[in-house]
Amino acid sequence: MAVVTAQLPASSCSAGIGLRSLHVAGITATQPRLGFLEVHAENYMAETVALDYLLSLRRDYPVSVHGVALSLGTAEQIDRVHLGRFKALVERVEPILVSEHLAWSTIGEVYLNDLLPLPYTEESLDLFCHHVEEMQEALGRRVLIENPASYLRYRHSSIPEAEFLTEVVYRTGCGILCDVNNVYVSARNFGFDPIIYLDALPIEAICEIHIAGHYTAEDVDILIDDHGSRIAEPVWDLYVAALRRFGPVPALIEWDTNLPALEILLDEARHAQELADACCHADTA
Amino acid sequence: MRKNSPMPAAMPTLRELQRQVHQAVLGGDTAEIVAAIRGDGLDPAARIGTYRNHFFATLGGLLQVTFPVVCRLVDERFFAYAAHEYVRQHPPRSRRLVEYGADFADFLADFEPCESLPYLADVARFEWALNIAASVREAAPLPPQALAEVPTSEAAYLVLRLQPSLSYVISPWPIDAIWQANKKSEVPSVDLASGDARLEIRRTGDAVAWLRLDPATFAFRTALAGGLVLAAAMTAATAQSPTFDLATAIEQIFAGGFAVAYELSSEQKSFQPHPVDLARKEVS
Repeated sequence: MAVVTAQLPASSCSAGIGLRSLHVAGITATQPRLGFLEVHAENYMAETVALDYLLSLRRDYPVSVHGVALSLGTAEQIDRVHLGRFKALVERVEPILVSEHLAWSTIGEVYLNDLLPLPYTEESLDLFCHHVEEMQEALGRRVLIENPASYLRYRHSSIPEAEFLTEVVYRTGCGILCDVNNVYVSARNFGFDPIIYLDALPIEAICEIHIAGHYTAEDVDILIDDHGSRIAEPVWDLYVAALRRFGPVPALIEWDTNLPALEILLDEARHAQELADACCHADTA
Repeated sequence: MRKNSPMPAAMPTLRELQRQVHQAVLGGDTAEIVAAIRGDGLDPAARIGTYRNHFFATLGGLLQVTFPVVCRLVDERFFAYAAHEYVRQHPPRSRRLVEYGADFADFLADFEPCESLPYLADVARFEWALNIAASVREAAPLPPQALAEVPTSEAAYLVLRLQPSLSYVISPWPIDAIWQANKKSEVPSVDLASGDARLEIRRTGDAVAWLRLDPATFAFRTALAGGLVLAAAMTAATAQSPTFDLATAIEQIFAGGFAVAYELSSEQKSFQPHPVDLARKEVS
């Protein structure tokens, strides 16, 4: 199949933010310098006022479309109606990047509103690759698959996650959206070294990085990836490690709950940009 | 290269495993899934519990944002309990969460612990309508001249498609007054005996507005919104008020920009209509 790799326009700014309706007016009025805006695909699949705003901002900013509910890891068929809506949105928005998750979220007609972990087995690898191929064929372009933040692992998982993801890349030609907060959260929850995880990913496949906040659950020692706070220092450190390994790729500040003022979000994006610039500078010096 | 972890006696298929996770996330039995989870230093039940908590917390939070006055009327703790039961019994069927909560009002109507607040479900219907109007884009209104092409003999079978942001809510209680009172920090008292409410809710420009309608107009517009032919809508209106004036009613529909398209229904031709004189409703 034809695989189209979208590139960011030549720009010195590659850090972006997630677009939330709370911030639309502020972004429109102040036109902050940002590499791109990212939206959750499912929030724009109807004729809504929000879609109008997105199409309007699309004129000034590259957009990345991030799916959260296609459920590529389902043991069932993927929902063709939903895939059709996804395709229609991509055709309308013409995003620079399209991504989904290494996860599942539906069973029958029920949508469990979460990115649930897969067992990493040969069975799930075959199925997942099949669904990624179906998505790429429907959209007529390469998609990026994001590594999940996990709170559990299955006993019968037999393939390390980074190896599983790498195999998906080799079999389907997809790219990787490396969420360094997710790597950090999973590493803490299971006691592995996040650097070893990054080192196991294929450099050439990394097309985007996500950076976000997390918190510790109240009742149990599990880190929760809630995208609801400033980015923790160890996650910034991991971002720098990722930049060193993968080179400068578009990075997104993901903030989806407890939304802050736009200025705080922009401040995080500026910091991500400074770190990326420093890394590039160190490379060329 | 592949690591062999200790496996449970029978390795579940992916389909089977997902069924077990689904059951546990919805608050059902966790024994099967717990047996399939590695402890990694913690109780496996706590690990799957994290997903269950997230599921109920995020959807409960979404309902609270969508139905703030319902929440205020019952207090946050009771709302969380009702929302939890709703989420358990009615997990999302759509991947577009903006659609979640469409039948929350129906759930509340049958939810026994809410019996002492008979108006609660109708307030929820009103809040859902406000929510729709706030998110849905207005479509381009149909110009009144568009109907000039409709042959008089077919006028009775005309179906007008109305603005997608429009909703009609009827209640024996003054739900709009209850809603308004509960948006204030100090809630003024509302006379529950002050009568029923027939409300039209829609988006106008960047704002959401609602209007109380008289019984005949409400019946007419509700019938149109339900996809009934003009003649059937007129019958519904006339049942409320024998003096209902169709020409004025249609004028108002077009003046308000309510109609966005029309079609002639062949399915509803079995309906025996009142004679409909389209010529009378020409709007300049």
